[in-house]
Amino acid sequence: MAWRTEGIVLRVRNLGEADRIVTLYTEKIGKLNTVARGARRIRNRLLSPTQLFTHGRYLIFPGKGLHNLSQAEIINSGQGLREDLEKMAYASYITEVLDGLTAEEDPNSAIFPLLTGTLSLGDEGRFALAARAYELRLMAALGYKPELYHCLGCGESLRHKVFFSKEGGVVCQGCTGRFPDARPLTKGTWELMKRLLEWDFSRLNILHPGNANIEEIKGLMRNYLDFRLEYPLKSLDFLETLQAIPPPEVKKNER
Amino acid sequence: MFRYPKPMARLIEELTRLPGVGPKTGQRLAFFLIDQSPAQVNSFVEAIVEAKRKIKYCSQCFHLTEEDPCSICSDLKRDKTFICVVEQPRDVIAMERTKSFNGVYHVLHGAISPLEGIGPNQLRIKELLARISPDIKEVVLATDPNVEGEATAMYLARLLKPLGVKVTRMAHGMPVGSDLEYVDEVTLSKALEGRREL
Repeated sequence: MAWRTEGIVLRVRNLGEADRIVTLYTEKIGKLNTVARGARRIRNRLLSPTQLFTHGRYLIFPGKGLHNLSQAEIINSGQGLREDLEKMAYASYITEVLDGLTAEEDPNSAIFPLLTGTLSLGDEGRFALAARAYELRLMAALGYKPELYHCLGCGESLRHKVFFSKEGGVVCQGCTGRFPDARPLTKGTWELMKRLLEWDFSRLNILHPGNANIEEIKGLMRNYLDFRLEYPLKSLDFLETLQAIPPPEVKKNER
Repeated sequence: MFRYPKPMARLIEELTRLPGVGPKTGQRLAFFLIDQSPAQVNSFVEAIVEAKRKIKYCSQCFHLTEEDPCSICSDLKRDKTFICVVEQPRDVIAMERTKSFNGVYHVLHGAISPLEGIGPNQLRIKELLARISPDIKEVVLATDPNVEGEATAMYLARLLKPLGVKVTRMAHGMPVGSDLEYVDEVTLSKALEGRREL
């Protein structure tokens, strides 16, 4: 039996002289660790489809430990993501979060379209927004949907003076004592979080929120992700290093 | 159960620390070494000890060398205003095999990899920036054409360009002797972008 499925390359590690261990997130089977034999040889047909962020059609033969990546065809090479430093750093963050939060061979029909949608919106230069929508929706798809309407402490429906806890939801002022990490959530950011979580993904590109709202969600979701992941994300350091150095020319799109 | 004599077990254990050597290969190598004459084994051991003792990094380009500065950096015929940036010392050897580069090198000892947690601070980037003076005419970035290599090249270009130095990148193209039909679409589009007039 073989698996024929679309997938995106999340991670690549070298194995031996010329092989690669390729971690794919596939549409049908979820995350898979595969071995691509000879994929580092210059004329090997698996060389290019096993580059990071490639979206392709893969033929995989299941094995006892690592599965065998036998054939591949590129749908989207992901070259745009690799040729821009910010996009590459964001895409690394997106794939690292997914690799960290998912188990092998655990199919989830919501995640693959979310991953392709996020990378494609990011490739259009909208990574700052795409990454925030991705964080919220990925947590929802994995069963950790951020609670935006009812207080995590008392369950009351919330209207004003809202706080957000790293435990993944809003908290009323009365319950902040039980959630000492909870940070204030402004009305505009709360509205934006609702849209990013509930709107159809294809409509998100019409949103043009302020930088302050984006930064606020970034901080809140980072606390939530750290709380769930329990280890720091390596790609974040690089993303922050980059933001300290201005790019050579100013680009039209947001970064 | 049969156990190896202690010295043999230790030899196998040391050999299995080498990259790509598992227990079976370790045992095979150990048996091979035991069968060699004492002179051959001594020469092998001396070669390891001597290489470890004498080999250091060149203080200018960070290539492996016995003398500091290395033979390339101290060669008067070399163009010191043209720097080729590579990831590893073995890339210097590959470039030298072409016999078509007459500048000097800078070895970074790695490439930026956000997913492995390798950032710019773990590479010899500060040392490269310190080498950039008004005399330097060109820096060619010859990092690998993969995600990590491209990221390193883009990062370096961002740091080097404001210093007013000409920064170039190695071309991407089709391997010599290949069939166009079997070249992947990414390489082919890169080769088309970088076409030259004949």
